[in-house]
Amino acid sequence: MERNKHVGVGFRKDFAEEFLEGKDLTPAFLEVAPENWMEIGGYWKKVFNKVAEQYPIYSHGLSLSIGSSEELDWNFLKKVKSFLQEYKIKIYSEHLSYSKCDNAHLYDLLPIPFRWDAVKHISERIKSVQEFLERKIAIEIVSYYTPVAAEISEVEFISSIVKEADCNLLLDVNNIYVNAFNHKYDAKSFIENLPLDKVEYIHMAGHEQVAPDLIIDTHGEPIIDPVYELFDFTVQKLPNTVPVLLERDFNIPELKELQYELNRLENICKKVWNYEHALA
Amino acid sequence: MNTHLHNYTYTQQSRLAGYCRTGELNSIDGLTENRVHHYRELVYNVVDDTLQSAFPLTFSLLSEDQWNEIVHVFFSTHECQSNSVWKMPYEFYLFVEQNDLDIKKKYNFIEELLLFEWTEIEIYMMPDVQYPVFKSYGGWLGEVIAINPEHKILQFNYPVHLKNPISITDDNRSEYYVLIFREKESGKVQFMNLSVYFAWLIEKI
Ligand SMILES: [Fe+2]
Repeated sequence: MERNKHVGVGFRKDFAEEFLEGKDLTPAFLEVAPENWMEIGGYWKKVFNKVAEQYPIYSHGLSLSIGSSEELDWNFLKKVKSFLQEYKIKIYSEHLSYSKCDNAHLYDLLPIPFRWDAVKHISERIKSVQEFLERKIAIEIVSYYTPVAAEISEVEFISSIVKEADCNLLLDVNNIYVNAFNHKYDAKSFIENLPLDKVEYIHMAGHEQVAPDLIIDTHGEPIIDPVYELFDFTVQKLPNTVPVLLERDFNIPELKELQYELNRLENICKKVWNYEHALA
Repeated sequence: MNTHLHNYTYTQQSRLAGYCRTGELNSIDGLTENRVHHYRELVYNVVDDTLQSAFPLTFSLLSEDQWNEIVHVFFSTHECQSNSVWKMPYEFYLFVEQNDLDIKKKYNFIEELLLFEWTEIEIYMMPDVQYPVFKSYGGWLGEVIAINPEHKILQFNYPVHLKNPISITDDNRSEYYVLIFREKESGKVQFMNLSVYFAWLIEKI
């Protein structure tokens, strides 16, 4: 089977063996969290080396905690840097959130107050990280379930950071769908108001509705039709072609089912991007 | 660090993080109160799941209340330093070792059990170590014996590696050695009970 051109998948230990043995899943690339794959050895290191020989690797960090008040973890960043170099990883993305506070890691992504001082603080931190890593990073708009002490709008918050830090954007279309639903705004106009020329990477995923007015971003279900539709809309608005990732962290189905989702995304990319190529 | 973050913004963040760690909510501006519990649950579940899968023997030894209590005390008072969540269970072990906890009076071998369980993970995940050049034959005399470098020897007072923890009593108190090692090809972790003499011999190699 031919590999997808644009669409990759989040690499999980849960399906590693089946993935390496079979041909049911043929992503364009694989995404990993450095935290799970650096500084290891033994069985999983062998597996990782094998997949890294066969597929381009993109990375999506979990613990940088760009929104924290405390000092950046340079020791950690040094290890990330050599991991990115060792495996020739083109994209290092992280979350626009915080996962460490008062000197303690929390292992989840908490929402940052949308405030001007946070814009300034985070922009400076992203700049320091980019300088240290000698590359731009892509910062992801996260899903959130409650605002915290906001003084500006979410879209203003994100756009200002991207501009001031001169970083790239990871556009998670599902997160925007989830946020628009949870906080009652229009997803399409939110997307139109983002600096779309800075989008370097797209994420797609499934979610779970837990109450009539609340969706939790679980990455444990297939992508739903309205999110495909929002993806189609987004792709048409983007000035550049970018890699697209399917995230599936829990409740992992048959690999054929994941491939079906990859194909559906790939077809949307092809439809829009091939057409534009033909015009050019 | 030269931070631009105002004290007010930091305080809001700190209260949300504090709530996720302890379950106690201090007022946060603009919060949707009936939704914030999802954060506490998401955070706590990651920690609890990680610890349960790292310490299956300890988890099944303790009652649900005992387990929840110890996890709660750990997460609400300890400042986790590991960036990688899979390394966090080592901090849990150290926390139990270094603190005065009731559970240690009930099960005086619990530290050793936690260390045994953690070491299996540690050896399984440890970065590869260059093997010495070796041949698979040779004599004991006059030649250096090569040993798999991906190993650790632990010394215990209780047979946490030999007996079902629930059946360990004070009568079992003695001196035990266990060798935990990773097989080169499969990457699987194995362990082996050692006599005092053999443990000493391996340490000397
Ligand atoms: Fe994402």
